Amino acid sequence: MRAALLALLLACAAACSPRDDGTLRLALNWKPEPEFGGLFEAERIGAFAKRGLTLERTGGPGAPVVQMVTAKQVAFGIASADEVVMARDRGSDVVAVFATYQTSPQGLMTHAARGLGSLAEVLGAKGTLAVEPGLPYVKFLEQRYGFGALTVVPYTYSITPFLSDPTLTQQVFVTAAPIAARRAGADPKVFLIADSGYDPYTAVVIAHGDTLRADAARVAAFVAALREGWQGYLADPGPANALMAPLNPEMDAEAFRLASEAQEPLIEVAGGAVGAMRPERWTTLARQLQELELVKEALPPERYFANPE
Amino acid sequence: MSRRVLPPLVTFVVGVLVLEAVIRALGVSPLILPTPSAVWSAATREAGPLLAALADTARAVLLGLALSATLGVAAAVALAASPWIQRAFYPYAIFFQIVPIVAIAPLLVIWFGYGQRAVVAAAAVVSVFPVIANTLAGLLSVDPNLSDLFRLHGASRAATLWKLRLPWALPYLLTGLRIAAGLAVIGAIVGEFVGGGGLGVVVLGAMRQQRTDLVFAAVGYASLLGLALFAAVGLASRLALRHWHASETDR
Repeated sequence: MRAALLALLLACAAACSPRDDGTLRLALNWKPEPEFGGLFEAERIGAFAKRGLTLERTGGPGAPVVQMVTAKQVAFGIASADEVVMARDRGSDVVAVFATYQTSPQGLMTHAARGLGSLAEVLGAKGTLAVEPGLPYVKFLEQRYGFGALTVVPYTYSITPFLSDPTLTQQVFVTAAPIAARRAGADPKVFLIADSGYDPYTAVVIAHGDTLRADAARVAAFVAALREGWQGYLADPGPANALMAPLNPEMDAEAFRLASEAQEPLIEVAGGAVGAMRPERWTTLARQLQELELVKEALPPERYFANPE
Repeated sequence: MSRRVLPPLVTFVVGVLVLEAVIRALGVSPLILPTPSAVWSAATREAGPLLAALADTARAVLLGLALSATLGVAAAVALAASPWIQRAFYPYAIFFQIVPIVAIAPLLVIWFGYGQRAVVAAAAVVSVFPVIANTLAGLLSVDPNLSDLFRLHGASRAATLWKLRLPWALPYLLTGLRIAAGLAVIGAIVGEFVGGGGLGVVVLGAMRQQRTDLVFAAVGYASLLGLALFAAVGLASRLALRHWHASETDR
């Protein structure tokens, strides 16, 4: 019985390759929010349609995006650069093709009243640190600064503990929790993880290596459409925000506006195309993950990413 | 002995071999489904941290189980005191069975703080209902002839409870505890997802780091804990009942 069930499961996993009705499926890793603004804008202005692409969004909070792309259940997914490096180390053939955030939006949020002035001070002070277990950057921070007097607890995707505990520091996306905390009456101060030297590309679009090789033209068209969407979104996030708002009732119009404002400097690149990646960044990241013993070896950067054209 | 150990052992070995062969034959990515041998090597290579986490979880499970046994029996005795009390309160006891622990676990952290107390509370909340339900069934199913005998001899309520009704309910309670033991492990791990510590945090961390082999290894350690508890309750049941109760004699 068990073997039969398993065979069924595996047969499905093997058969669930990309559908050949031409629809490209993209798995998100969170609810619609400004992080995906360029995608919604691209859909809104028909950037995919005019390149002959049909896109279907799927996934959401908690979706095993890297696994879905690895199994070719979806053509594209949203992940972060460190997830790509770790997945390749575990034998998966996923490749990054577009990086939304050129500077990682991950940060630590603490109460301004504590008067702490840097990441080192935050991590050296006595208090509680709420972070998702296993986050690579937490391991990096611990190795770099030490967690002397900190109690580390799991982050539960809620700012309630932060609001009720004046000595609690928590992980944040600078575009989300700090805005919510401020509007809930707190006075948060945020420190970007990127300032510590650990700065992976984030909200990265990933694809399977097979897709990239067999279907290079469509991947390039997809990336071009997405780029067009981001250029439009950065110029005016209003229309795409209005599209996303009904899909994410937890954020109101004001939260959308503030978040798209906050993320702009993390996305825009001086003198480069939105979403394009540089090999040095991947080299640094792979070396850092290797030093943290999260991957066995650092591969050449071109194994992790491509800038399809 | 061999007749009891052999069948599950054969299932296990055959299952593992088939799984290994199928995964290898299909070339499934280890990110999606690791082979049993990869899980085994993670389980042995990381045995130190896994055992430390297991001890953490085991402590919380035992405390949670002790709590639900105590509170569950007390609640059942109270409910059995009169049909009126039972009708008034029993529907609310069912709350504990249907409560989605994943949803209330973050609240437990807010009420009890991070750490072991929240984890113990989560283990107790999910495991208390089978104790209440089974013990109550036992208390209410006392042989009426024996009840009459106690009444004829003018036994006090306390004596009837202590010498007749609780012993009568004991086999029921032990059955409830067997169900509760497995649930307490689930409750503790979900509690650890938000309260911190133990195998729960190992599972979350391993998922975050794309270590599917380690996820399965941690789940394996958790099932060992569940099995050990199940066996311990079984042993307690045998020791307590073998001289007088049909369920454990002649075996």
